[in-house]
Amino acid sequence: MNAHQNNNLIEIKNLKMYFPITKGLLRRKVGDVKAVDDISFDIKQNETLGLVGESGCGKTTTGRCILRLYQPTSGSIVFNGTDISSIPEKQVRPLRRHMGAIFQDPYGSLNPRQSARTIAGMPLIVHHMIDKKDLDDKVAELFNLVGLDSSMMDRVPHEFSGGQRQRLGIARALACNPSLIVCDEPISALDVSIQAQIINLLEKLQKSLGLTYLFIAHDLSVVQHISDRVAVMYLGRIVEIANSKELYQSPLHPYTKALLSAVPVPNPVRERERVRIVLKGEVPSPAHPPTGCHFHPRCSIASAECEEFIPPLNTISGTHQVSCLKV
Amino acid sequence: MQNNVTNSVEPTAWSEVAPAQSEFRRVIRVFFSRKIAVVGLVLIVLLVITAIFAPWLAPYPPNDIDMANTLAKPSGDHWLGTDNLGRDVLSRIIYGARTSLIIAVGATAMSVVLGEILGLIAAYFGGIVFQIIMRFIDALMAVPMLLVALIMASLLGGGVKNVILALGVGMLSVHARMMCAQALSVKQNDYILAARSMGMGDMRMMIQEIVPNAFPALVVVATVGLGAVILAEAGLSFLGVGVMPPYPAWGKMISDGYKYILSNPALAFSPGIAIMLVVFGFNMMGDGLRDALDPRLRGVV
Repeated sequence: MNAHQNNNLIEIKNLKMYFPITKGLLRRKVGDVKAVDDISFDIKQNETLGLVGESGCGKTTTGRCILRLYQPTSGSIVFNGTDISSIPEKQVRPLRRHMGAIFQDPYGSLNPRQSARTIAGMPLIVHHMIDKKDLDDKVAELFNLVGLDSSMMDRVPHEFSGGQRQRLGIARALACNPSLIVCDEPISALDVSIQAQIINLLEKLQKSLGLTYLFIAHDLSVVQHISDRVAVMYLGRIVEIANSKELYQSPLHPYTKALLSAVPVPNPVRERERVRIVLKGEVPSPAHPPTGCHFHPRCSIASAECEEFIPPLNTISGTHQVSCLKV
Repeated sequence: MQNNVTNSVEPTAWSEVAPAQSEFRRVIRVFFSRKIAVVGLVLIVLLVITAIFAPWLAPYPPNDIDMANTLAKPSGDHWLGTDNLGRDVLSRIIYGARTSLIIAVGATAMSVVLGEILGLIAAYFGGIVFQIIMRFIDALMAVPMLLVALIMASLLGGGVKNVILALGVGMLSVHARMMCAQALSVKQNDYILAARSMGMGDMRMMIQEIVPNAFPALVVVATVGLGAVILAEAGLSFLGVGVMPPYPAWGKMISDGYKYILSNPALAFSPGIAIMLVVFGFNMMGDGLRDALDPRLRGVV
């Protein structure tokens, strides 16, 4: 894969997404949930960027900002040379065909009242990219691509199994021939055996169609397998971003270390030797994040300066960036 | 679509997956497998037939006064007896079916169309649009439907047209609320997010994504609403602000007949039973439709 080519498909700079907390009858604003708090990264053409972090750290929000399902509070999202972060919805719409989305829940993300044909073909219909008479052929082609039988076109979603539904969701994401696909935990709701099939399918499609993925997940071993680079998020901020191999072999940020130490090893001897770093305390609320480094209250190496200064994302070597004052 | 038809005609082995069949056929099949729903449907079909063919079915003209034969007991000549003006009760019930059906369909159509458009727009756009529309609906709802209808009927006078208008406005809030609640819940689904992420426009989103998923509940409410309108119309007529005499209406017949309830019970009871059967019919049909329109029951029955 040509991950080191220097053409970025998407560049995110200082992206912030705050959700206002309102109170009372007049909907007075009393605060913000800082779901995404000043993050920057880019994804190269044909690359897979894994985005990991625990629940509520803002990974899904980041994905949805990129899809412009949310209007970001500030920052820029440059997709294919266009900043899509603040242009009106009307102008975003034609750009949407270049982006696909795969959702976590294969049950909730397909309209139960549409046939598989309509679901997979809808993006084409929406963008007027197809004649009615060609729809069947095109949908059959898409079904073929994702490993579904084209005789299933008339079925409704609940007549499919979980894995098949997710394939249908992938077919829909591919319909308009997008360049970027945001995969929002595409395998978390599936059986382990099905997970492998879907991962392999996604990899195969990436190779044959030259796709770029933003792969959001919390399963670290799956992310390692599929990603070229991995970004680790904690409480709305990226704490570390590096090549997949480098990140897993030599994590630098104490949070990444703790996260990786939680991955079970499929070897009983080595599994017994695994040293788990157990973090103290709970994830603070993104409505009232700690000052300075968001991670300092739970960090084992934090000092006074960590409470004061927000650590910048420093480049350590090559593509390895980490946001920690102690590294 | 042609494919469907051939598929469902072809015999298939039991082990094979059920062939994809058209949605319509499935709905019909599930609906008719519910006995109580069929009973409801039969009652409603009878009502419709009675209403359409009233002049042929009724043994007497509904407004024929026979002063020599007032308050007659049920007999061979007058199956359900005659009222205080000597009019044949059975004939008046048959013609009354017409009044009830016209009013029920008219008022329901009006309230469903207006209410559901309002509810859909409120729920879809949210924010200030939601507040304006739903507060107006709340205000309408705060006044009991019968009272709204009563006020409108007394302002506009009786008559079929005004009763339709009054009950249509009265039922508006029910359908708007229902649609709003349904649309709000449908909106939460990931497939709406998916539709938005593919760049679907507002109009298509509402019509193709939200309405079909809100549909089952709406059909049920509309069907039950038909029964409620008939009941409300009877109430209005009973109170004397509904359909104007001598036009036959069930509610009016009850209010005329209840004075003789001890001496001649058929006078008040027979239109009462007619109302009951029709309302029951609509409710049962509503239940059946709810089951039949639920896609999760596909292939179960």
